[in-house]
Amino acid sequence: MSSILCPYCEAENMEGTDECQACGEALTELSRHIPASSVEADLLRDRIERLWPKSPASVSPDTTVGEVLKLMVDKEIGCVMVVDRGRLVGIFSERDALMKINTDAPRLKDKPISQYMTADPVTLETNDKIAYGLHKMHVGGYRHIPILFEGKLAGVISIRDILRYLAERIAATSSRR
Amino acid sequence: MDFQLSLESEGVGSAYPDQPLAATADDSVGNVMQLLRAQRTGSVLICEGEKLVGIVTERDALKAMSGDISITASVREIMSSPPATIASSATVGDAIRKMSEGGYRHLPIVDSEQKPKGVLAVHGIVHYLVDHFPETVYNQPPDPKSKNKEREGA
Repeated sequence: MSSILCPYCEAENMEGTDECQACGEALTELSRHIPASSVEADLLRDRIERLWPKSPASVSPDTTVGEVLKLMVDKEIGCVMVVDRGRLVGIFSERDALMKINTDAPRLKDKPISQYMTADPVTLETNDKIAYGLHKMHVGGYRHIPILFEGKLAGVISIRDILRYLAERIAATSSRR
Repeated sequence: MDFQLSLESEGVGSAYPDQPLAATADDSVGNVMQLLRAQRTGSVLICEGEKLVGIVTERDALKAMSGDISITASVREIMSSPPATIASSATVGDAIRKMSEGGYRHLPIVDSEQKPKGVLAVHGIVHYLVDHFPETVYNQPPDPKSKNKEREGA
């Protein structure tokens, strides 16, 4: 007998149950869709923490554009988190650099990064599903998403992490056959 | 169709490749940076005649912005040459493996004569996945944590 996991309280329920026996939330939507492939099932089961989010490079909002660009090049990173008194207030990525700085870099290098960052970025929690992360990246066109743990900045995942995960899942599925 | 089968049978053209955007190795770094911005894309293919000789990405542009490379220099100085490519006859599965192993976010698609036919970007792969798993990707339940802990009202 297969079971379904309640997304609200994580209690196990019998397949086909209309509402969670533990918390009473509706499970009817979940019963309809059964993953057709194991890669798909993995995406629905695995959480963001499975991607091993990296420690993000963080700067304060008054760090200059020039300092941030240098940090990104020297550390070979695609984005930095802008953190003000422990709170994530923005993200500055290669894409922001290309769209907002570009060849104006010499003129803008002493400006604070807070003027050019993407404020209030979309975030994920470590226990969100990887499928949900994929959805956010697709809809928003993002390449990096900050990861929070209990509301605090804990890491960052990139679209490459998802690609790597996927390549591993595909290889694992092929070898099982 | 079974996803595993699709990956090994569908060509790279199914993963939403971008139209190739080309410049020559003599173009200036600054011109290519502005081209990237104008076209809202992450890579420019550097060609000699119809033949692909290099690629310049956002990453290279960042080096110019940080002052490591002059924006008046020719892109020859910053391009990756020869670039990693994928054959137009390759499958989506081949592309995912190649991108993942090499850490590439853009792979020029070339024919048997090294002529560029498009650029496969990692976002195209994501788009392809969303097409194959729409129910998995879109039917995500709302965030349980955002639910009201207690019912409103009395």
